[in-house]
Amino acid sequence: MRSLRSLTTPYLVWMVILILIPGLFILLATLSTFHIFNEYTFRFTTTHLRFLSDEIFIEALQNSLKYAGITTVICFLIGYPVAHFFAKMQSRSKTLFVALLIVPIWSNMIVRIIAWENMFKPVSILNLFGLSFDLIGTDIAIVLAMVSMYLPFMIFPIYSVLLKMDESLIEASRDLGANRFQTFFRITFPLSLGGVISGVIMTLLPAMTAFALPKRIGGDGMLLLGVVIEEQIFRGSFNIASTVSFIVMLMMLTAFALIIRVDKEGETLL
Amino acid sequence: MRKHIGLQVAQVLFAVLTYFIIYLPILIIFLISIHGSRFTFESFDFTTRWYTGIVQDRDLMQAIMVTLQIALISTFVSTIFGTVFAIGIHSMTKAMRLKMMMLNNVPVVNPDIVTGIMLFIIFRFVRLSFGFPTMLLAHIFFSIPFVILSVLPKLKSLDPNLFDAALDLGATRLKAVFLVIVPSIKVGMLAGALIAFTMSIDDFIISYFMKSGDFHNVSTLIYARLRRRAISPEVFAYNSLIVLVTVAVMITFNILNRKDKRKVVLK
Repeated sequence: MRSLRSLTTPYLVWMVILILIPGLFILLATLSTFHIFNEYTFRFTTTHLRFLSDEIFIEALQNSLKYAGITTVICFLIGYPVAHFFAKMQSRSKTLFVALLIVPIWSNMIVRIIAWENMFKPVSILNLFGLSFDLIGTDIAIVLAMVSMYLPFMIFPIYSVLLKMDESLIEASRDLGANRFQTFFRITFPLSLGGVISGVIMTLLPAMTAFALPKRIGGDGMLLLGVVIEEQIFRGSFNIASTVSFIVMLMMLTAFALIIRVDKEGETLL
Repeated sequence: MRKHIGLQVAQVLFAVLTYFIIYLPILIIFLISIHGSRFTFESFDFTTRWYTGIVQDRDLMQAIMVTLQIALISTFVSTIFGTVFAIGIHSMTKAMRLKMMMLNNVPVVNPDIVTGIMLFIIFRFVRLSFGFPTMLLAHIFFSIPFVILSVLPKLKSLDPNLFDAALDLGATRLKAVFLVIVPSIKVGMLAGALIAFTMSIDDFIISYFMKSGDFHNVSTLIYARLRRRAISPEVFAYNSLIVLVTVAVMITFNILNRKDKRKVVLK
């Protein structure tokens, strides 16, 4: 099949143009006066990096870590048992159960965010059931909405790893005298770590960089990294937006290095 | 193996909680879409006028057309190219394949907002005019890696000698790909296409960076209206229709699938 190798050349070109070059542009805009909207005279500068000690950035970073962190922990605590339950289920409907987790993703994300926003306002459709909440801007509202958005992305990779796991390893462990908990913590869990890492990253990164959700549910002035990037770029502060994007890219690359250690070809990413 | 009742109950409860928390907004959207008033919720007032209203909302109709066109074209294009690239990647040496897959997985892990900005920068740099073409390119771009990820495992379970055998027996390379490789990776291609379609129809963040002026897909239109506080339940009606159609398709597939399996058993 060697003769088919050349099929990847156009893909390589495509990826270099659309990923590597803009990635380098972002790096360049972080460290210099490089700009894509305005005229500029090129020189290296550390001015934009100073934004990283600006209180806007610090607050956004803290909020991102806090909300995305809590969301990820909750998603993991709920998602792992659910993924395990579905993966080990003997029912013929198990694919249907898992498929039902995809349905909400088909529903538009913005519309789902508006639905949560509606529920968290005192006058809402929930009044029909005699319920009324006033939670816009509270931690619980943001975390609840985030868990609702990102939980499926925690479950899928863990489920697919557990599904492929060799059942005989577990039987062997039980035969050799390990009890249920020992088997889980020493066999099942370590073997599913690849799925867990993918799940954590697929929840953490999007949650940290969300911008529509914190804007609608976090109330006025709620800053997350995504909000900062969006506001800066549409204000024309291309270099500041690039600097923040560059920090997010660094996080992404760290996450990436972690995934590659457990899963070289990214099979758990789907 | 003996089942532990307590653990079983806890798992079922967690599964129920999961469905509850991810379906709650869907139910709320549905309720709003059949409730007659936009501002008062004291008593339920059943209506279908938001559903009939979809057709009269010209901007929304246009955005729906854009969304569907982009979803269909980008799914088609990315499934074909993704499959071709996957076949190429599969035929590489292991070291090359790993490097290529690393590059492939960057957009998968990359947060949407950064991908959006990257595409925005490069399209702006080469002076593409923003709107339909850039949005389509962007959707093709983020779909291809997922198609490759779903086709590659199927290629791995394919006997590599089959392709060479086909060539030995006189098939052209194109013929060999279509007659030997494609039939065995159909399922992966279909799964990839489904993921591509799902991602495209729901995408907001990347599309947001590709918009220009009055050109919108459904997500960016809703977001723009939200800013002007002009959100009307028609979008909830549209959203509920999409979900209903999806569920119906999925359940039909599941039933057909079961019937197929039963037939196999009977034989």
